Amino acid sequence: MKRTFLGEFEEIVLLVVAGCSEDAYGVVIWEQLQQQTGRNITISAVHATLYRLEEKGFLSSQMGGATAERGGRRKRFFTVTALGSRALQEIQVLRDQLWKAIPQGKLQLIGQ
Amino acid sequence: MAMQKEKFEPQNRLNDSFEPPRWPARLLEWFVAPHLREDLQGDLYEIYQKRVEQVGLARAKWEYTWAVLHYLTPFFFKRQPKQYPQPFFLNPAMIRNYFKIAFRNLSKSKGYSFINITGLAAGMACSIVLFLVIKHETSYDKKHTNGERIYRVETENIKEKQTYPGTYTGMVNALDSDVPEVESVSALFKVWGKTFSVPASDKRFKESFVYADNKLFHLLDYQWVVGDKHTALSQPNTVVLSRAYAEKYFGTTDVIGKTLQLDGKQDLQVAGVLENPPTTSSFPFTMLVSFSTIKNTDPGFDLNKWNGWGDNFQVYVLLKNGLRPEQLTQRFSNIVLKYMGKEALPDKRFVLNPLSELHYSSNMSGRTANVELLKTLSFIGLFVLLIACFNFINLTTAQAFKRAKEVGIRKAVGSNRLSLVYQFLTEAWLITFCAALLAVILAQVSLPLVNDTLSIPLTISDLFTWQMALFVIGLVFVTALLSGIYPAFRLSGMAPIWALKSNPFAQGKPLFTLRQGLVVVQFTISLVLISSALLVNRQLGFFRNADLGFNKTAIVTVGLPDNSPAKLQLLRSHLTESPKIKEVSFSFNSASAESNWMQNMEYRQSEKVIPIKTQMKMADANFLSTYGIQLLAGENLRDSDTSSTSFKVVANEVFLNRMGINRPADAIGQKVYYGDGQEFATIVGVMKNFHVNSLHQKIDPTVYQVVPNNFYQAGIKLPSDKLETMQAALAHIEKSWKATYPNHVFEYKFLDETLAQAYESETRTAKLIGISTFLAVLIACFGLFGLATFTAEQRTKEIGVRKVLGASVLSVWGLLSKEFVYLVLIAFVIATPVAYYFLQDWLTKYEFRTELSWWIFALAGLGALAVTLLTVSHQSIKAALLNPVKSLRTE
Repeated sequence: MKRTFLGEFEEIVLLVVAGCSEDAYGVVIWEQLQQQTGRNITISAVHATLYRLEEKGFLSSQMGGATAERGGRRKRFFTVTALGSRALQEIQVLRDQLWKAIPQGKLQLIGQ
Repeated sequence: MAMQKEKFEPQNRLNDSFEPPRWPARLLEWFVAPHLREDLQGDLYEIYQKRVEQVGLARAKWEYTWAVLHYLTPFFFKRQPKQYPQPFFLNPAMIRNYFKIAFRNLSKSKGYSFINITGLAAGMACSIVLFLVIKHETSYDKKHTNGERIYRVETENIKEKQTYPGTYTGMVNALDSDVPEVESVSALFKVWGKTFSVPASDKRFKESFVYADNKLFHLLDYQWVVGDKHTALSQPNTVVLSRAYAEKYFGTTDVIGKTLQLDGKQDLQVAGVLENPPTTSSFPFTMLVSFSTIKNTDPGFDLNKWNGWGDNFQVYVLLKNGLRPEQLTQRFSNIVLKYMGKEALPDKRFVLNPLSELHYSSNMSGRTANVELLKTLSFIGLFVLLIACFNFINLTTAQAFKRAKEVGIRKAVGSNRLSLVYQFLTEAWLITFCAALLAVILAQVSLPLVNDTLSIPLTISDLFTWQMALFVIGLVFVTALLSGIYPAFRLSGMAPIWALKSNPFAQGKPLFTLRQGLVVVQFTISLVLISSALLVNRQLGFFRNADLGFNKTAIVTVGLPDNSPAKLQLLRSHLTESPKIKEVSFSFNSASAESNWMQNMEYRQSEKVIPIKTQMKMADANFLSTYGIQLLAGENLRDSDTSSTSFKVVANEVFLNRMGINRPADAIGQKVYYGDGQEFATIVGVMKNFHVNSLHQKIDPTVYQVVPNNFYQAGIKLPSDKLETMQAALAHIEKSWKATYPNHVFEYKFLDETLAQAYESETRTAKLIGISTFLAVLIACFGLFGLATFTAEQRTKEIGVRKVLGASVLSVWGLLSKEFVYLVLIAFVIATPVAYYFLQDWLTKYEFRTELSWWIFALAGLGALAVTLLTVSHQSIKAALLNPVKSLRTE
């Protein structure tokens, strides 16, 4: 199988979903994202990414029950799949390797 | 499908929730793919609620709109492929299924299917027969090579506004010499009642034939068995026969050079044989005699006559290429000017009538298409078909409640509407197809009847042509669509939840349903037809029984091949020697006849000249007594009143009226002038008015005069019209006639029968309207019967309860019949003015007519009511007699 890569935004969204303590659905994820990153993100971008991640198999979703506060419409709850968590872990391993490859003190030097 | 469409609109909205802006919400609803739509809308809604509280309504709205706009990308628009692919609704398996279900439904409700199929078959048979008739009537004279260039020269009396098919004999020469635009001129002269015989054999027949020359074969296309079209009729005393006639006289078509004898005097040589003419020809000649023969057979015949014409002499022209008949108008006025003089111009005109029009006016074949009748028939045929279609619609929608469950379940398991529509259309199509098969058989069976009533030569083979096949296919298609489309959409449109309820039709009846409307239309049409049938028959009865002013019963007419005084004297003495004969009168024609002798007369009153167009009754002295015509004043004529120095006439009351004389006695001795204005006759008597024409026309001013050389028939009055005396008398007449005219064929006619022929067209109309009325009423009753059955079925429980509570049979019968009676009453109210309008209009074209009295409509209404009650009663009484235990027990 061809390996699918995660983009930067996708990675962040996936991490946010993984990090959600409560049931993660569109609005919650959107709010979390803005809070964590401090960026101004449109809800449509979040939706598009969530669905795309679901298509790629990193996320799965389930419809919840109807509630009056959403005009009778159901929520879609996202959870990270096994494939998703492995992908996140692989990324982390890769990053760690890369971090270790950097000579000590180099970044500090460039930074100053 | 229908389930999915239901929207999740907030049912009990909380007080603190705010509706997002309408148009962006709709845009979102429409744009975003269904599988993403719900949670996405929900999220936006949730955010919106929050933002309203945080930043206020206006800004939240704006943000919502802005967010929605961000969704307008292909990603959100793309629809998810369906999990189960929808098969094309017309794939073979589905079609097989449609047919299977249709067959099951047909055989399940046999009664309704029978009503539907028979009704539609009757309606379609009508259309098929009408198509045949119209196709036949419009196919005359189509196959001639030069057809578009052939015209008949017709004579028009401008003042009378009447055009006659015949023209002056001088026209042939005039056209030849004065009209260079004409390529060929052909004259035809038709003669009736001549005896043809094969010498030295007993083959002897009375025939009509035509004088013609070779130009006829140049004009029209004939198929020759033997003979040459360039020379066949160029010699005098030659004759051309049709195949059938060659065989009739000689038993073979190898007849060139054989001899036929005309009237026992003139020998004619057979010069050719033609194939039998097609039935669709206005020139179906069986015997053609060369024109030059006329010098021998009728020496007095003037071939250059300009002062009188008859319809039997017709002139046909072949115009040169590219000429229109209007271009010859000036030529024809020049002919009038040159041959008839300046004074004829305002009243005479010659017109060219194209070949294609001949079948619709008087022509030599004796068959004329009655366009009016055809139009009426087409309308009636259409109505009958419509009534049958209405039956179908009514019965199918009435049965809807039976099918409702089926439709509901089909929809619940996922049938879409279109496939249901196809299901119902297949059923309609199947019924119509069966009906069409039956209709073709019906048409075939009824063809002889149609031929007889319309006097049209249709054959079975006309029924099986490709045009007919095409027509039937079209008819099936249109009928199936007409009768099936409404029920199909109506039934397939039911919401499944409603259709699956136990009694879906119990609630909310509309005041007036389509079904009732259709029944009203059916009965309106039937009522109009019934009253028309009644009126036409009444008018016909009026024609038959009207007082004609003379006695038409027990009068036999025979022809006079030779009217020399000696022969007439001989015949009279033979006839009158027996007491079986009451009286004999020799005359030009009968007291009332279709072809008459008209003459212009003048009454000169000092300075004033009154022209009177007069009908001549030329007869011997026994005329008035034989026909029972009353003499009002003066005296009867004598057989000797023939001297040219003192002509004597008897005039009728209308003639006196024109003269301006009121008292009959005053007219005696008055002179009337005629001919060149010098000759005159004296009125010696006045006779009471009698109908000299058929009752379609007014009574002409008429004078009666003794002119022996114009006697062509004998009217023989018998003492009684009892069958046995008549037969004896007829035997005596035949014996006397044959003794007088040994070489001729004896034929006789009863005057009352001859007169009845004038009303053939009305008789035909009456028959046809009668038949179609019967069909229309029958089909409508079929439908009514079906509806009544349905109502009774549907209300079984109600009737059961009513009976338990003590309703009588009569009251239940009344309950069930009432609604149909109402419908007929409404139809009556609509039909009466419509029928009154049309029938009044129809009556005005008759000079002598019966009145349109109220009882015709009353009778039609009562008849329809009686038929309705009869039809409905069977079902309602059956329902009323049913044991309530039975109807209430089962659920």
